[in-house]
Amino acid sequence: MKRHPVARAGEITPGGRKIVSAGSVEIGLFNVGGEVRAYRNSCPHQGGPVCLGRISGTSMPSRVYEYIYGMEGRILRCPWHGWEFDLATGGHVVDPDVRLKGVPVETAGLERLPLEQRDGVVYVLLPG
Amino acid sequence: MPLVDADVHNAFADARAELRPFLPRLWQEFADRHGIAVPPAGYVSPVGVQREDARPPSGGLAGSDPDHLTRDHLDRYGIDYAILTGSHILGVSTHFDPDWGSALATAYNMNLAGRWLDRSPRLRGSIVINHSDPEAAAREIARCAPDRRFVQVLMGAGSNRLFGQRFYHPIYEAASAHGLPVAIHPGTEGAGNADTPTPAGRPTRYLEWHNIVPTNAMAHVNSLVCEGVFEKFPRLRFVAIECGIAWLPHLMWRMDKNYRGLRSQVPWLRRLPSEYIREHVRLTTQPTEEPENPAHLLQIFEMIGAPQMILFSSDYPHWNFDNPRVALAALPSEWKERIFWRNAAELYGLSLPTSGR
Repeated sequence: MKRHPVARAGEITPGGRKIVSAGSVEIGLFNVGGEVRAYRNSCPHQGGPVCLGRISGTSMPSRVYEYIYGMEGRILRCPWHGWEFDLATGGHVVDPDVRLKGVPVETAGLERLPLEQRDGVVYVLLPG
Repeated sequence: MPLVDADVHNAFADARAELRPFLPRLWQEFADRHGIAVPPAGYVSPVGVQREDARPPSGGLAGSDPDHLTRDHLDRYGIDYAILTGSHILGVSTHFDPDWGSALATAYNMNLAGRWLDRSPRLRGSIVINHSDPEAAAREIARCAPDRRFVQVLMGAGSNRLFGQRFYHPIYEAASAHGLPVAIHPGTEGAGNADTPTPAGRPTRYLEWHNIVPTNAMAHVNSLVCEGVFEKFPRLRFVAIECGIAWLPHLMWRMDKNYRGLRSQVPWLRRLPSEYIREHVRLTTQPTEEPENPAHLLQIFEMIGAPQMILFSSDYPHWNFDNPRVALAALPSEWKERIFWRNAAELYGLSLPTSGR
């Protein structure tokens, strides 16, 4: 695996994202509950630029005509077709076996501080 | 092989004479002055709706004589049970005055029990309701349900709202409580206060109208699933009579595809839409689609992937009758068993010699 420095930790704000390139691979970095998650910017459905989609919450399983908003800031919706992915796991909300392709991340610096206050470098690990 | 026919049209010999005894006094007076007719859809078949050859010896309307219907249809084809679906009555849901519609529905059901169901144990009834007044419909379901010869609730498919909407839930609650399926039958699209038969307007002629009525069933099935009716009423079964079958794979695929992206609007659904359809929706065969290559229809059945969903029906004594000895000849034998009797026996709780019930 090769370490690619792609961002400073503080650039990835809660609910925000940063799209980076490492080699020929486009990757979306997301701040999920203070942790960096990185996913390939290609939807498992039809290859759409999923990481450019809206970050939001969603309506949770409920009784008929009941609306419970949850997972705020944890849902990424592909701009093509609207599939919802859980940023914490990469799983599609309808079928969790369908997943975004995760990329391993290393964050250097002070791990105990909130991500946006860290000064460290975010690395993604890619083969080769 | 046992045989159950899920769509047999009993008719009035004389609607006013038959219904009048069961109407409240006020509505008797109304019927005496204005007659009984329900609003017409306005489309006229060039061959008529009733088969010419099915007239009873008395010369009345085809399907209007219980003994003749039993001989001419049930005896001729060895039918164990016929599910009666009425004639010139489903328009009760399209009257501008819902109370008149509900009074007619109740009178119809009372007449059905005495004039038809008492006549032969092979005849099973549908509780006709006026869906434009769901509370009254629920009361009518509760009134009829203790008579187990009524095996389903039946309503005209023409409406001015989609059937999944909460307005109609009292009907499904009552039907569920009594373990009865709810069926729809086409023919009232565009009649009375029902909306136009297509969202793009009114077809010009009967042929064109008849071609397109399945779109209405598609709209209702879509609505029932998306509104969560089968989550709210998990025991409910919904029967689309005479609405065709071949459209179903398209609808299932389209609903599932959209659900994968848009489920946040219907968080009460816990499964793919097609799974609700397979479990809860039943379709009757007539008028069987007749592709140039009969194997293509079998492929459609395979795409639906649910042999338990389909019930044989003849539509006797209507013009586009399916002969049970000829229709669906290409089906494999295990599908025939399901479609020609077992599915109906399970859905309607019918005892058949070989069904083990």
